[in-house]
Amino acid sequence: MSGLHRLGWLSRRDWRQRDVRVMLASLMVAVGIVATIGLFADHLQRTIMTSATSFLAADRQLASSHPLSEAFRNEAENRELATARQISFATMLQGGSGMELVRVRAVDGDYPLRGEVEMQDAPGGPRRMVDHGPERGGIWVNARLLRLLDVEPGDRVGVGDVRLRITGVLVRSPDAGFDLAALAPRVMMHLADVEAAGVVQPGSRVTYRDLYAGPESDLNAFHEWLKPRLSEGQRWRSVEDGQAGVSDALDRAERFLLLGGSLAVLLAAVAVAVASRQYALGQRDTVALLKTLGLDGRTIGRLYLLRLGLWGIVGTGLGLLLALPLFAVLAHIANRFLEEPVAWQVSPMALLPALVTAFVALFAFAWPPIRRLRRVTAMQVLRASPGEQGRWVLLDLLIAVVAIFGLLWFYSGEVWLVLALLGGLAALLAVVTLLSAGIVSILGRIRGGNRAWRLALVALYRHRRSGLAQMSVFAMVLMLAATLFLTRSALLEDWHRQLPEDAPNHFLINIAPEEVDAVGDFLEGHGMSFEALYPMVRGRLVRINDEPVRQAVSKHEEIGALNRDLNLTWMEKLPSDNSLERGQWWDQTGGEGVSVEAELFGEMGLSLGDELTFRIGGQQITAPVSSVRSVQWESMRPNFFMVFAPGKLDDLSATWLTSFHLEEGRKDLLNELGRQFPVVSILEVDHFIERIRSIIAQVTRAMEALLSMILVSALLVMAAVVSATLGARQREGALLRTLGARRGLLVGSSMLEFALMGLIAGFLGVLAAELAVWALQYRLFEGSFRLHAELWLVLPAVSALVLALMGRWQLSPVLNVSPMLLLRRLED
Amino acid sequence: MSEATDAIIRAQDLSHQVAVGEERLTLLSDINLSVAAGESVAILGRSGSGKTTLLGLLAGLDLPTGGTVDLAGERISAMDEDSRARHRANRVGFVFQSFQLLPTLSALENVLLPLELGDVRDASDRARELLERVGLGERLGHTPRQLSGGEQQRVAIARAFAANPAVLFADEPTGNLDTTTGQQIADLLMALNAEQGTTLVLVTHDEELAGRCDRRIRMDGGRLLDATTEPSL
Repeated sequence: MSGLHRLGWLSRRDWRQRDVRVMLASLMVAVGIVATIGLFADHLQRTIMTSATSFLAADRQLASSHPLSEAFRNEAENRELATARQISFATMLQGGSGMELVRVRAVDGDYPLRGEVEMQDAPGGPRRMVDHGPERGGIWVNARLLRLLDVEPGDRVGVGDVRLRITGVLVRSPDAGFDLAALAPRVMMHLADVEAAGVVQPGSRVTYRDLYAGPESDLNAFHEWLKPRLSEGQRWRSVEDGQAGVSDALDRAERFLLLGGSLAVLLAAVAVAVASRQYALGQRDTVALLKTLGLDGRTIGRLYLLRLGLWGIVGTGLGLLLALPLFAVLAHIANRFLEEPVAWQVSPMALLPALVTAFVALFAFAWPPIRRLRRVTAMQVLRASPGEQGRWVLLDLLIAVVAIFGLLWFYSGEVWLVLALLGGLAALLAVVTLLSAGIVSILGRIRGGNRAWRLALVALYRHRRSGLAQMSVFAMVLMLAATLFLTRSALLEDWHRQLPEDAPNHFLINIAPEEVDAVGDFLEGHGMSFEALYPMVRGRLVRINDEPVRQAVSKHEEIGALNRDLNLTWMEKLPSDNSLERGQWWDQTGGEGVSVEAELFGEMGLSLGDELTFRIGGQQITAPVSSVRSVQWESMRPNFFMVFAPGKLDDLSATWLTSFHLEEGRKDLLNELGRQFPVVSILEVDHFIERIRSIIAQVTRAMEALLSMILVSALLVMAAVVSATLGARQREGALLRTLGARRGLLVGSSMLEFALMGLIAGFLGVLAAELAVWALQYRLFEGSFRLHAELWLVLPAVSALVLALMGRWQLSPVLNVSPMLLLRRLED
Repeated sequence: MSEATDAIIRAQDLSHQVAVGEERLTLLSDINLSVAAGESVAILGRSGSGKTTLLGLLAGLDLPTGGTVDLAGERISAMDEDSRARHRANRVGFVFQSFQLLPTLSALENVLLPLELGDVRDASDRARELLERVGLGERLGHTPRQLSGGEQQRVAIARAFAANPAVLFADEPTGNLDTTTGQQIADLLMALNAEQGTTLVLVTHDEELAGRCDRRIRMDGGRLLDATTEPSL
C-alpha cells in the first residue's frame, strides 16, 4: 500500500479531466435525482396518505359488529397512538311531523383524528370545517332531514329514549364513504348519549369502530400486536382497503412513482458507464507508463479502485447536496396546491435508494472498464495496441443488465415491471443496432445533395461506431421518457374515463314502482342525464349448490357481500360500464340464470352453472350462475353483484333506483324533487367525488413534476453521451476548418449529422416505448392499448431538434477563433 | 516573366501584432516576400523567430494586422474567414509537425477528409491511390494509434496532396521523426511535390531539408534577414 500512498497525488489531476468530470457530474445528477425522487415520493406519500386518511377520519380503523375491547385502545394509547371511538347504527328519528329512519354516527370527543367535519349552523348558512362532532346533548342532521321532519336548528328530536337539540346541519363527515346499503339520511351525535338513548340493544345491527392515528411504524407495530388478538368479524382497515376509488388512484400513483424512479436509476447508470469507458480509454497510456516504471497489475488495480472510491464519495456528497434544495422547491410547489400542506422532512430511509444507486453505478457500471486497465501492456507506451475487444463490452453489458435487474427488482418488487422495462430495452438495443447500422450504411451510400448534407452523411458513416453507441443511448433515453409520458397519459385518461365531468353525483333510492315513470319524467324534464332506472330487491345469498354459504365459502367472514343483504336487480341489456367476461347473456340462455359480478365470483370460488339460492323476505329463489360480469364500481352508476333476467323477480316487492349528474348550482332541484316524491331517498355523493378528484389532481401534479425531472435527467444523459466524443469531434472540426471548411458548412453538416442521429434514435425510441407500454398496460395498469400516432411524429422531430442543437453547441469552441489559433492548440 | 505575374504567393509590408494583456507584441514586421508557382521555399530560423506565424498568414489561417497577402491570384488578407476557408479548400494543403491525424478515423478516412470538403469525384479511389503512393496501401483501415510516427506522417502527406493543392505548406514536417525516417519523409515530400508540380513552403530547423528547396529564407525577431533569398546550392 505504501506505493499506492505515494502515487495518490496522481488522482489530483483527475479532476481536470473531462471524462472524470462527466462521470462525477453524472453520478451527482444520478444521486441527486434519485434522492430528490425518493424524498419527494416520500413527501407525496405522506401528503396523499394524510389527505386520503381523512376518508377513514383516521390512519387506521378497527371495525366490528360487537363492542371492541377496552384493552385494544389502552395498548394503542400506551404506544402513544391517538385514538377515537365511533358507533354507527340505524334508528328512527322522531321530529315535529313524524319519524324517519336514519343512519346514526355516534362519535366521541376525539373524533375525527384526520380530516374535518363540514357543517352549517343553519341550512343555507356558510359552511364551516370543524375538528369535532356535536357536544353531548346535541345532534347534527342533514338538511334534507330537517325538511322531512319539519324541524329546524334549535328544535329537539328524539333518538330512542333521549331528546337531543339540533345544534348544526351536517354537510359532510370526513369518513362519509359511499355505500348503497346505507340508504337512510345521516345524523351525527355524541357517543356519550348512546347509552341513555337505549337504541343499541343486543342483536341490533351496529358497527363499532375504533380509530387510530400516529406514525406509520407505530401503527404497523400496533397492528402486529393486535393481529393475534383479533377475533372473527373484527376488521382492520387502512386507506388502501378503505375506498375502491381512492385506493386505486393511490396504487397506480405509487406504481408510477416507482416506474419513474427506476427510469432515473437507468438513466444515471448509462451516463456513468459511458463516461467511465471514455476515462478508461484515455488512461491506457498512463497505465502503460506506470507499468514500464515497474508497477504491477494488482497495485494499478488498487490505485484506480481508490480513485473510484474517492469519486464515489465526492459525487454522492454533491448529489445529496443537489437533492436537498431541489426537494425543498418541489415540496413547496406541491404544498401550494394542497388544502392541508404537509411539513417537509428529510427521511434518511428515502435517501437509501440514492446511496444504493451510487454504489451500483460505481461498481457495476464504472468499475468494469477501469478494472481492465491493469491488463494494458507496457508495450502500449511504444506502440498502441488495438482498443477494447468486443467480448469485454459484452461482459460489461451482462454485468450492467444483471445489476439493473437486481436494482429494479429490489426497488419495485415488481418482476413484471422490470421484465417489461428490460425486455423493452433488449428489444430496443437489438433493433437499434440492426436498424441504425442498416440506415447508416444506406445513408453512407447516398450521393448528391448539397455539400453540408453530403458531409453530414459521410460523417455519420465515418462515426458509425461511436455514433451507433450514442444512438442506442439516445434511443433508450427517449424510450424511457416516452414510456413514462405514455403511461402517465394512459393513467390520466383512465381516471378521467372513470370519473368524467358529468359522472353521476346523486342517487335516488326507494322509488316506488308506481313512481318510476314520474321520476324519470322529472329528471328528463329538468335535463338531468341518467342512464336508466333499476329495480332493486333486497335479498341474502344463503346457499350455494344446496350447501349453506358459511360452509361453501371458507372465507365468508371476509367477504362483505355475504354478510349482508344484497341488492338484486333485473335488466334486459348489459349497462355500458359492465362487460361480459364469461357465460352467456339472457338472449342466449332464454332468460335463465343469474349474472354474478366477476370479483365476487372469484372470491367465492364459483363456477358457471353453480346453483345460488337467495332468501328474499319470506321466499327463496334458486338460479344457476349463467354469466360473469366485470363492473366499474368507480363509475358512480348503480351497479349490482347479482343480476337476473326481466320477469324473474316479478313476484317480489321491489323499489327502484337511479343515479344522475346535478351541477352544484342546481341543488335547489333536490328540494323540488323531495317535495314531489317525499318517499324517495336522495343520496348526495358529490362531495365524495370531489374528494377523489382532488386526490387525483394532486397525484397528477406529482407525476408531472416527476416527469419533468426525468426529462431533465434524460437531457443530461444525452449531453454526457455527446460530451464523451466532444474532444474528438472538436479536433475534427478544428482540422476541417484549417483544411478549408467554412463555418456555415461545418455548422450545417454537424447539425444535420446530429439531427439525423436524433431522428433515427427518436423513431426507434418510440417503437420501443410502444412495446414497453404495451407490456406495462397489460400487466401493470390493466388499461387498454393503442398506438400513439402523435408521438411517432413529435418525438423524432423533437429529438432531431435537440440533438441538432447539441451538434451546434459542441462545435462552438472551434467556430469563433482563427484557424491559426486552433492549429496551435492542436499542436499542443 | 515578371515576378508579379509569376508569383503565386506575395506578401507586401506584412506585419502582425497580438495583444498580450495591455501590451501589443509584434510577431512579424516589414515582411515582403514573393514565391513563384512551382517553387519550393524553406523558411529557417530559431524558435520564436516568427516562422510559423508567417506560414499561417501566408496560408490564410489568420489575418495580418498590417500589409497584404495574395495567394493564388486572390488577396486573401482582404477576405473574411469563410472566403479564406473556401480558398484554402481549393488551393492549399498542409503538413504538420505532429501529423494532426484524427485518432478515431482510419488512414483512408483521414485522407478522405479534404476530399469531402470539395466536389471530388471518386474521392475514395483518389485516397487509396495516394496511400499506395506513400507506401501504405496495406494499412488503409489502420487508425493512427496503430501506425508508427513515420507512417502517420505519410498519411498526413497523402492527405495534404489529396485535393490537388496549388500550394503546400509544411510546418516542421520531420521535426518529430528520427533522422532516417525524417530523411524518408523528406524524400517522399519532395518527390510528390515534383510529381504534382506543387508550390512548397516549408518551415524547418533542418538545414539539410532546407537545402533541398529552391530557396531559403531566414528569419529573426519577426523580420526577414537581409540575405533572404539564398538560392539553393
